[in-house]
Amino acid sequence: MRKTKTVCKMLLILMIVCPLAGCWDRGELEDKSYVIGLGLDRSKREGKIKVTMLLANPEVGSMQGGGGSTEKPREVISFDAIDFIAAKVTANAIVSRKISYDLLKIIVVSEEFAKDPEFFRIIYDAVYDKEIRLNAYLAISKEKASQYFLKNHPRMETRPHKYYQYMVEHGIENGLIPDSTLFRFFKATERGKDLFLAMNTSAIREKKPKIRAEDNYYAGQLNASGELDDTQFIGSAVFKNGKMIGKLTGQETSIVNTLDDTTNISDFIIDIPSPFPGTIKQMALRVMKEEDNTVKMNLKGPRPKIFITMPLKFEVMSNPSEVDFSKKKNRDILKAQIARHFKTEHEKLLRKAQKKYKGVPYPLSLDAQKYFATNQEFKKFNWTKSYQQAEIYVKPVVKIVDYGKGPKKEGK
Amino acid sequence: MKQQPEKLGIREYIAIAILMAGARATEDTPATLFQKVENAAWMVPILSAALFFIPLYLLLKTMSLFQGKNLFAVMNKLLGKYLGFAVGLIIFVISSSAISFDSRTYTNIIRTYYFNTTPILVLYAILIAICAYGAKKGIQHVGSVSFMIVFWVICSLIFALLLSTQDSTFQSVLPIWGPGILEIIKTSPGSLAIYADFFLLTMLVPYFKSNKEFQKGTWIAYIFVSIQISAAIFCIVCFFDQSLGGLGYPFHTLIRYISLGTYIPNIEIFFFAIWIMGAIIRFTAFLYLNALIFGQLFKIKDFEYLIPSIATIYLLIGLIPESPIETIVHLKLTVRALAGPMFAAISLILWLAALVKGEFKHAKNKNSM
Repeated sequence: MRKTKTVCKMLLILMIVCPLAGCWDRGELEDKSYVIGLGLDRSKREGKIKVTMLLANPEVGSMQGGGGSTEKPREVISFDAIDFIAAKVTANAIVSRKISYDLLKIIVVSEEFAKDPEFFRIIYDAVYDKEIRLNAYLAISKEKASQYFLKNHPRMETRPHKYYQYMVEHGIENGLIPDSTLFRFFKATERGKDLFLAMNTSAIREKKPKIRAEDNYYAGQLNASGELDDTQFIGSAVFKNGKMIGKLTGQETSIVNTLDDTTNISDFIIDIPSPFPGTIKQMALRVMKEEDNTVKMNLKGPRPKIFITMPLKFEVMSNPSEVDFSKKKNRDILKAQIARHFKTEHEKLLRKAQKKYKGVPYPLSLDAQKYFATNQEFKKFNWTKSYQQAEIYVKPVVKIVDYGKGPKKEGK
Repeated sequence: MKQQPEKLGIREYIAIAILMAGARATEDTPATLFQKVENAAWMVPILSAALFFIPLYLLLKTMSLFQGKNLFAVMNKLLGKYLGFAVGLIIFVISSSAISFDSRTYTNIIRTYYFNTTPILVLYAILIAICAYGAKKGIQHVGSVSFMIVFWVICSLIFALLLSTQDSTFQSVLPIWGPGILEIIKTSPGSLAIYADFFLLTMLVPYFKSNKEFQKGTWIAYIFVSIQISAAIFCIVCFFDQSLGGLGYPFHTLIRYISLGTYIPNIEIFFFAIWIMGAIIRFTAFLYLNALIFGQLFKIKDFEYLIPSIATIYLLIGLIPESPIETIVHLKLTVRALAGPMFAAISLILWLAALVKGEFKHAKNKNSM
């Protein structure tokens, strides 16, 4: 009797093991092909889009040391489809493995398609899809997305998911591109009050780009030479209500990033005009954004007034004029110069966005909400319209935490 | 009774109550509340708790007159045999439909986010089978398991919400009154169902050493749950802002989004594993309570043998709706809108009956004597 009981229990345990494999959802790595990048273009056919998939081979690079397979790390396919969800199945006509969006890292959209009013309706499918994670990035490419993936041949990072992860992460940290995840894109678009910035990228270098001041480039304009990959991530595309309306350079993007408290920009290096005499007119500073801005608004009256106080920390990275910073006078000159430079640059950009794009390129309206008791009052205030009349004042609070390796005498 | 049933400890009871009622923050409640009162959704659970406090307090006070008697025994005593049976039947029908549609919702969540191709029937059957097995073991076992996991469930919830604050904007809950104070107050009575579980939990009184202990446990769990749900909704509103209205199950979208740095990017399975344990305990306790009600209603002593068959019936009812939309939009909301006020009304009626019959005076006299 006892034996039977034990046997029964053992059988039960064995039965329980079966559903562990995931029932119908059993999946094997061998059998899967993960889409890392998804490209969206306008198709020549009416009502269709051109979908490009960058597929990663999970077998490559998964093994430490030798013994890895000789298969290619990636595969790129493009075809016309009605939307990118159904395209998953269509792609199986070409790809031998089961296609999954589970590890989708980046959606690249061509500028041409991003300006299409239909674009938001197409991309909104990502919310409905059960596999796409909303932390995938949205990037806008100058050329067609199908071309972009073909041209993009990273030399150091052959595995595509690592390449995009590092490229985007470091770009965001340096402030050259905005943190444009799908989640933030949908959040901003559904709020419908402010502009949204999506990162700009290009795999085709311009033929003879001009050399400009530090970081003042659009994607594809940075003139680099040598043995390299042509892809560049710099600058951003401006979206209004889910439709692209303009572009910002790398420098302008980093200005927006210091204003925006919802991104986690860590620190970046910029050049500012040197206030000291000397032949070299620029000096390098490392900017650290550690505290949040304080925003005060005066929303009564026909022209709302917005005061932004921006606490920033600086490190002096170069000292071409060999200034002695142990003197208080020199330190004060530098501080005043930094404050002036940041004030003018920030206000200039905000005015430009206000005039040209009729909005603010980061969720500033969030800070306005506390001045209203109910949603109806806020709606009545009509942020998008009132903001166009607003006067904006930016006040950087400069703290220089390090004057570099130069002379550090008393008084530092 | 063949033997004296083991007693249920106060901590086990609190664990069950927290798992049963607290789970609401992780399903569709935040989204449905957001659709009604937008960014003030986090206030509703607290207001509803304050509102439901009155009937619950009166109910517990009435129950304390009858030491060691459960809700149905009290009802039979106060309302008489026939009326008591009728009210009991209403409670049974409401809680039965609630458990069917709630468990269906959980199955939908599992299928939508984790097992996309597995048929609903299979997932649902496994869920119900596990719950039936657990419930058959008895409430003491359910209690000890829930005490074991409640810490982890709460920890994982807090952990997930803390991780989400990296990308959330606190300002989203402002303007502070959302669509207006009136609108919030109007929504609160409809959301009483959040706390309906506490009403059903009064069935467990006989398993306690004394009524006092039961009351103490109920109040601790009640306060904890109301704060937990409200805080969770607060975080979810901050995280999703306006896009919360278009989402079915925000908590699961949230755990798919968050990550632990770049090296551990996709961590939803960790939260899912703990969440599903909590969900199983929730339905196990719920199933047990329903079987208990059924047993009381039709005077079946060994009601634990009924559990498998009752569970099967719930499974079949839960399978009727064709799609998740139908469950949530029509059936579940109707049941919810009905359950809260109904249970509150029953509590009030019981208290009134006790008052009219002079039970309170009676008890006082007894004590003074």
